[in-house]
Amino acid sequence: MDFIEKIGRLDRRIIFLTVALAVILPLFFPLGLPIEVTPPVQQLYDVIEGLSEGSVVMMSIDYDPSGAPELQPATLSILRHCFRRDLKVLMLGLWAPGVPLGVQALDEVGVGEFNREYGVDFVNFGYKPGGAVTLVNLGRDIHDVCRQDIYGTSVEELPMMDDVKAANDIGLVLSMSMGVPGSDQWIWYYHARYQGNLATAQTAIGAPRYYQYLQTGQLVGLVGGMKGSAEYERLVDHMGLATTGMDSQSVAHLLIIGFVILGNIVYWAEKRRKA
Amino acid sequence: MLMTTGPWVWVAGLLTLAIYSFLYKDNPVYKMAEYIFVGLSAGYWAAFLWWNYAYPNLFEPLAQGNYWNIIPIAMGLMMFTQLSRRTSWMVRFPLTFVLGVSLGLQIVAAVEGDMVPQLAGTFSPFTRGAMFNTYDFWTSVGYIVLLVGVLTTITYFFFSKEHKGILGVSSKIGIYFLMVAFGASFGYTIMARISLLFGRLHFLLSDWMHVLK
Repeated sequence: MDFIEKIGRLDRRIIFLTVALAVILPLFFPLGLPIEVTPPVQQLYDVIEGLSEGSVVMMSIDYDPSGAPELQPATLSILRHCFRRDLKVLMLGLWAPGVPLGVQALDEVGVGEFNREYGVDFVNFGYKPGGAVTLVNLGRDIHDVCRQDIYGTSVEELPMMDDVKAANDIGLVLSMSMGVPGSDQWIWYYHARYQGNLATAQTAIGAPRYYQYLQTGQLVGLVGGMKGSAEYERLVDHMGLATTGMDSQSVAHLLIIGFVILGNIVYWAEKRRKA
Repeated sequence: MLMTTGPWVWVAGLLTLAIYSFLYKDNPVYKMAEYIFVGLSAGYWAAFLWWNYAYPNLFEPLAQGNYWNIIPIAMGLMMFTQLSRRTSWMVRFPLTFVLGVSLGLQIVAAVEGDMVPQLAGTFSPFTRGAMFNTYDFWTSVGYIVLLVGVLTTITYFFFSKEHKGILGVSSKIGIYFLMVAFGASFGYTIMARISLLFGRLHFLLSDWMHVLK
């Protein structure tokens, strides 16, 4: 059996092992590869920079723990940016398993790092079922959709919500999304009716679909996958999990590119031999 | 301390390894983890649907005297009438209602949120003259590529006429645009999968084994 045949019949477990090593080794030996900020992420950063002090950012946690490696770093970084700029944060979510991740992020950044007060600087209305119908009503009357926060407090008892009643009281809507319901629903049912600033953070698998909305101006920013999260971490100058993960990403990508090239060489060589 | 003492972190760590053991070969440990996942998911979603949809929206208001809720409850029960051939005609009522509401919402959303803005985004640089007013050469090239890509890709999906002549050339160019789009999508998919792997491995090495800071 020659080299070409050996490679053609390579045990797939060897490939799994090398990919695992490509991800693990940079964790112990960081390469510090540069992370360039792309325009879609910069645009979101600039929109938040442009909001006046006290403006409300509505953040929808539309992901579950499987999306956390990509989206939780973006959530943390954007929250850092918002609180640093003295913006107010209204959190809710279209995915029930995302609620604890949202609470965790607000506790870590809002309370832990910036000492912000719940009910005054940020609120969390948790999971909102209903998808399209909920979003249509949300823009018209926030108090009607968000009658109680996740702790059971009435919306009327939350000082921050006194002046936040409808879509035109919101400075920016952010959908941190990994599927349905998520950014599509925010674009179709909320933004199409109420306009305003809408941006999204997506898992990498969903990100390519949203560039078209960026081009039309329906989205004012797009954070795509772990790379986008790492870019935002760089913009707020707080390196976290996404930045750590980018070395592993880059090494694993190089390895996969190598496998793709090798696979093609073997394919053509075998085809030529048979001819 | 080398490893965590948190019991749930241990459970998560061992279950993660049990799932990854499938990469070596199918085995009873993987099967056990798979069954635990399926069972937990079924239980979670049953409780979730009851406490987030059925109870607060239907049964709680009904108990408080909102008897209008009998209508959606009855329509919900009608969905089960298809289990018998004699009563299956009744399923048409709830299905018609769901289809009507969904279509009403979807058509407006598709037109307002997708079709009109996307068409405007494709053609407006030309109609507004923005393309000719801008001094950025590459932006203008981008507008042209976008328009050519949209038109040629649409012609690829036009099956009422044989793809010959101009239509054939256009659809062939459309295929290349589609291949570029699929390639970009595949690249992003790899990034997403590596991110998932990174998330799990980071958890194992950091939260469970404490070998990473």
